[in-house]
Amino acid sequence: MTPSPLTVVLLGNPNVGKSTLFTALAGIPTRVGNYPGVTVEEKLGRFSHRGRQINLIDLPGTYSLLPQSPDERVVVDVLHGRMADVPRPDCILVVADATNLERNLYLATQALGIGLPVVVALTLSDIADRKGIRINVDELSRRLGCPVIRVASPTGEGIAAVRDHVLDAAGGPAPRQLVIEGTAASRGVGRPPAAAEAIARYDAIERLLAGVIRTEPARGGIAEERIDAILTHRLWGTLFFVAVMLSMFASIFWLATPLMDVISSVMDRVSSFVAGLLPEGAVRSLLVDGVLAGVAGSVVFVPQIALLFLFVAILEGCGYLARAAYLMDRLLVATGLSGKSFIPLLSSFACAIPGIMAARTIENRRDRLLTILVAPLMSCSARLPVYLLLCGAFVPERSTALPWLPLRAVVLAGLYALGIVVAALVALSLSRTIFRGPPQPFVMELPSWRWPRPAVVLERAREAAWSFLQNAGTLIVAISVVIWALMTYPHDERAIDADVAALRSSLEARVAAGGDSDADRAELIGQIESLDTAEGLAAARRGAAQRGSFLGRAGRFVEPVVRPLGWDWRIGCAAIASFPAREVVLGTLGVIYNLGDLDPGDAGATTALERRLKAARWDGTNRPVFNLPVALSIMVFFALCAQCASTLVVIGRETASWVWPIVTFVYMTVLAWLGAFAIYRIGLALGW
Amino acid sequence: MVAESLDDVPVGTTVRVRDVTGADPVSLRLLEMGLTPGVAIRLVGKSPFGDPLELEVRGYRLSIRRQEAARVAIGDR
Repeated sequence: MTPSPLTVVLLGNPNVGKSTLFTALAGIPTRVGNYPGVTVEEKLGRFSHRGRQINLIDLPGTYSLLPQSPDERVVVDVLHGRMADVPRPDCILVVADATNLERNLYLATQALGIGLPVVVALTLSDIADRKGIRINVDELSRRLGCPVIRVASPTGEGIAAVRDHVLDAAGGPAPRQLVIEGTAASRGVGRPPAAAEAIARYDAIERLLAGVIRTEPARGGIAEERIDAILTHRLWGTLFFVAVMLSMFASIFWLATPLMDVISSVMDRVSSFVAGLLPEGAVRSLLVDGVLAGVAGSVVFVPQIALLFLFVAILEGCGYLARAAYLMDRLLVATGLSGKSFIPLLSSFACAIPGIMAARTIENRRDRLLTILVAPLMSCSARLPVYLLLCGAFVPERSTALPWLPLRAVVLAGLYALGIVVAALVALSLSRTIFRGPPQPFVMELPSWRWPRPAVVLERAREAAWSFLQNAGTLIVAISVVIWALMTYPHDERAIDADVAALRSSLEARVAAGGDSDADRAELIGQIESLDTAEGLAAARRGAAQRGSFLGRAGRFVEPVVRPLGWDWRIGCAAIASFPAREVVLGTLGVIYNLGDLDPGDAGATTALERRLKAARWDGTNRPVFNLPVALSIMVFFALCAQCASTLVVIGRETASWVWPIVTFVYMTVLAWLGAFAIYRIGLALGW
Repeated sequence: MVAESLDDVPVGTTVRVRDVTGADPVSLRLLEMGLTPGVAIRLVGKSPFGDPLELEVRGYRLSIRRQEAARVAIGDR
């Protein structure tokens, strides 16, 4: 009979090499997810030692077993065997940073009081040696009453010993508790019991460490001091910070692009291959335009997610992540956020999805949620094609009043600034209202500089990309299929014929009536002639089919709502159809305006779309649909709206709740409508 | 020196904690991080915007906001 597997938990402060030890003991985790009902990460691994299977649980980093945050509550619940689906541990493996023993022993000595066998691993022992920190491990072990093992990850020192000791200790007797009473306890008189205990515990640790630890003049410490002096310098430190952040942003904005292009072209080939296998019809359309489009739409995020997490893991591994939060804290506190929100928000300018996922590095629950809620307001790269097309078509290059002003650049910068300002206002008002609460401690360790472990860094990136595909990817595909169905059905051939015939006669009537500019007239004649070509007719039929679909009807249905924004039902329809992703709006406009599927990256296709939009008229009138106020109204709407199903899905996954994606969608859509309305009215009033 | 709490000592000085005022979770966390009465702390620096502060305590670096630093009374015990 094989003995039942043992459960061992890894307990330690944040940034003490817990993940490195986990990887050294168990390799790649067998499961990464959330504990039921809470957004606290659960990481499980497994290894065998001397014929016994050991299940390893990596607990979130914590400073104390008197829980103050949901993460810490999970830690305490798991240790006491109170967490559903998690067996009571057989042994606690405490991970303590040898370079910072005094504070690390605070948690370690609390663990001794749980009543479970304890083994202490002194991580970063090689760095402690270099810093001249000498620890008498045997004496420490004797005084703590539990095994203490030196661990150094570069050499693998101590890993075998940790396995031995964990196996020997598991299920055995618990060590005695550290005595923290005595004369020292009297210093806590008049304080709350928890505070008195903290003071007494540190006094006990100081006594425990007397004679166990001594620090010799550092040999390698000089270089570290020098690095520290530069990186925390007011000027050099700030310049270094800007350089690091710029390169991080550039890599997710530009480095990811070729990778995303490769993914897109591979997916295009897969789509045309599948399309070639099947006869034209509903099945082919479902597979190609629904399922495969959804797969492409989710896989395309992987390069950005992987690159950002690579960067975050490197910064975290060196100890710079906390430094970045320290540098930016003051700016963000003014809006009710914290310094840790900076990297997630910066990344959101490339794409909100990796940005929202990067909010995992914010331990404070309230700050994390606030950051996630405002991250989609940052103008992501998907908005850029929309801005560029509408700016190019409808914003004049120079204003007549201020001829020196590069007007298009001003509008573009204004749209980016709008997102930032609105995000700051939303964060500020949410933090003063529904997120109002007792002050949250901002007590953040600034870890000492060290080299990141490549294995840990790669694992973070792999894990982030994989969890996105697994959790969000499937839902994104499902949403893509639903939108496909809404855009395809009902499909009525006779209605399509009638629509195309009506289109031709209305175009002919408009040409006959005259009154259009030469450019528009040429465009209209071109449109009529294209209806005689097979390609042009197919595009017009496709437009008619979409106009007659549930989604097209929804566009007409919402027309009263979008009318105050200066939009006709076609724009409303395109806005609704862009729910899967904002950039889809250009493709949808192309279809609605009878251009068929167009590639937004193709300059010829976008100029064709520009010409169509310029020639568009309100139904039954000669009034142009698109002018500067309407274009601005559309751009402001897209700057602020939540038309990105993938973002909402990721918010749902990251907050483990359906409430927050709904809140995000509603508040952003309302703000987008109000913003679009305001700019349209201002534009009209000023006669733009 | 007349500084009473940690938020108004000059950068580079080492002081002793006299007390951490308040009985809420914030004060408890400061104690748990090692800012107990009698311990020596050095103000290493301030963030470019003047807040938060960087401290050295019990051999490691800790960052706290001025608002929290104001709870840390310094001077002789």
